[in-house]
Amino acid sequence: MSFRKRNIGLSTGADRSTQPNATQPTPPEATPGIRPSPDDGRPTTSTGAPSLDNLLAGHAGLPMGKSLLIEENGTTDFAGALLRYYAAEGIVQEQKVHVVAMPEQWGRSLPGLIGTAESLDEKRSDRRKDERMKIAWRYERLGEFGAGVAGTRGAPPAASSAAGEQDPNAKQPPAFCHAFDLTKRLAHPSITNMTFIPCIPTAQSPFPAILDRLRTAISSSAPSTIHRILVPSLLNPTLYPPESCRPEYVLQFLHSLRALLSAYPTRVTAMITFPLSLYSRSSGLVRWIELLSDGVIELCPFPHSADNLTTSGAATSQEEPPQGMLKTHRLPVLHERGGGSDQNVGQDWAFILSRRRFEIKPFSLPPAEGDTEAQETAAPGSSMPKKSDLEF
Amino acid sequence: MPSQPPLPPLLAPYLSTQQESSLTLVSSILGATSNWLVLRFLHASLSNSSNSNSSIGLEEPPNGKQKKVVLVSFLRGWEFWKSEAKRLGLDLARLESKQQFAYVDGLSELFNTPKSPATNAPASPTGGPARTTLPLRQQPGMLPGRTPAPANPSLGKGSASTPSNAEPGVSKKLYFSGNGTTALDALERDILAVIEKQKTSDDEILLIIDQPDFLLASTGPSQAIGATEMMDWVMGLQQNVHSTVLTLAADSPLLHNASAVGHQMATPIESEHAAFSIGLAHRAQSVMQLRTLETGAARDVSGVLRISRGGGWSTEAEDSLEERELLFYIQRDGGVRVFGRGES
Repeated sequence: MSFRKRNIGLSTGADRSTQPNATQPTPPEATPGIRPSPDDGRPTTSTGAPSLDNLLAGHAGLPMGKSLLIEENGTTDFAGALLRYYAAEGIVQEQKVHVVAMPEQWGRSLPGLIGTAESLDEKRSDRRKDERMKIAWRYERLGEFGAGVAGTRGAPPAASSAAGEQDPNAKQPPAFCHAFDLTKRLAHPSITNMTFIPCIPTAQSPFPAILDRLRTAISSSAPSTIHRILVPSLLNPTLYPPESCRPEYVLQFLHSLRALLSAYPTRVTAMITFPLSLYSRSSGLVRWIELLSDGVIELCPFPHSADNLTTSGAATSQEEPPQGMLKTHRLPVLHERGGGSDQNVGQDWAFILSRRRFEIKPFSLPPAEGDTEAQETAAPGSSMPKKSDLEF
Repeated sequence: MPSQPPLPPLLAPYLSTQQESSLTLVSSILGATSNWLVLRFLHASLSNSSNSNSSIGLEEPPNGKQKKVVLVSFLRGWEFWKSEAKRLGLDLARLESKQQFAYVDGLSELFNTPKSPATNAPASPTGGPARTTLPLRQQPGMLPGRTPAPANPSLGKGSASTPSNAEPGVSKKLYFSGNGTTALDALERDILAVIEKQKTSDDEILLIIDQPDFLLASTGPSQAIGATEMMDWVMGLQQNVHSTVLTLAADSPLLHNASAVGHQMATPIESEHAAFSIGLAHRAQSVMQLRTLETGAARDVSGVLRISRGGGWSTEAEDSLEERELLFYIQRDGGVRVFGRGES
């Protein structure tokens, strides 16, 4: 199967989508920030973090009309960083960004633009060029081997570079994903286009008012406008009134959000973050929230004390140590079909958030470095004879 | 790998025949959804007639009875079902116009407040009461071959309102209002109206309800809906059709927390869900459980399908249901391979 799949180029993928799948009208090529999925040609948009894009079941982006739930354990805010990338990417692509229940200051904390994602990769690979053994020049396109989520059979990094490099006719197509610097602040003319939808505490559910605003904003915008809906830290008591935790309120909200996404299957995406420390995954309500999302990703940051333990987890001294584990519970589109056949599912992923990137890579247990000393000290006392004592 | 037949041979006996007034329960979890199985149910019931019409000509089905399907879906939209059925070679829109299939939309307007048409365009006075909210702007693009440019900039409200009237496929959009059994009765009436429209003679109607447990979870005791009310609701629908297939979520937090073995009290959402699903399992003729592998993800196995007799299995049934556990694998193109453990 892999053989057949690999032969399907980008162009045929787009064709397939228009013929058997005419139900999903692909937006015109001119729409910035939208590209057809290398897997089945449906339109996708970037989450702002290239390695998260590559995790999403071979679509190399978040498919339009889908929602992504990012759950986080502990008191860290890695999910918030992902959300900021997602918002910043939307602003740079001139999409309409709607933020639910967050104050407007949040919009001023978006990470600054430092170029396209490819440019950052080039810089990085230049730096590394001397250190790295070259295997064969033609494999280089297949993406950074072993350094991240290698794309599924469609090889998304190859697809993006193919769009950028191999096609001589297309001069510098609009970038799909950008790189951002968390220490800088985003300055972009369309940053004022962000809308902040406050969560007004009422006696009833606060959510219908939010939904009404979202619905009117989307239905009154031009048909070519792409929207992003951000729901940061859903049900966090600092943002939401206590009544909103009632299952009927929040589940009806998410169901209506789902209806909204399916009503505009090519124009809206949504990202929701959710604090798992406040609401456990083993409760029925959280499970329903997950069931109502198209993609579910859980972040488990390592406790801070584990820092020195995990430094040895990096394979080489140049690699940054992973900051936490990432679990994929459900991926958009793939699991809607039945799921489970993607190579990204079931893997152990680790994530690293640095100033300039959010990186997801396969997690491997560190070699037990500390144990060597323990073994040596324990050796004399133990009954194991020394090597020199053994005679053969 | 060759493309798979739309109906896996091992599953065909389970999918194609449902006994009269039987209930088949399909349970799914977060990582193993039931959509593919529902599509196979659709295919098993609908493909015979559509194939014989297209290939052999207008020929009566062997038993003389026509099979019809009414699909009620609470979590997934019409577009999803239509495009996924197309992968199996099933044109739901055409079947719908041939009165063999009806889709009841429990997603798009279930909890939408009806005041949204006021804020929206005064667009569709022609649409029925169920269609007065949000005319779907995407509809013209979804009709293949009618509007070539999907993102036509002239696609304003005015142009969208007319085709949305002729919205294909969706027979009825459910709208939930009120409390308790009255609200459920209203939903039941809506669904029954669709069923009645399909029923012309002694056709066999298969009713598929996709995740009615969401309705229970999202309303709950505060709106006076519990497991008992939902069971009655399902029973009321069952009486009017030949057989019923029902999918629901069976994740462990939803079922096991209710047993109060844990330290914390079960929340109503958990206890009601457990009562609902266990009650249905006792009533069902057969139960098909979908779950992922316990041993972790595998590259060539998507999950496990376990078919067992439910509490409503009757011994006098002449075709005894064979209980078995199978593995399934869903390919990238949507094809499904079903095989036993140890086989490939």
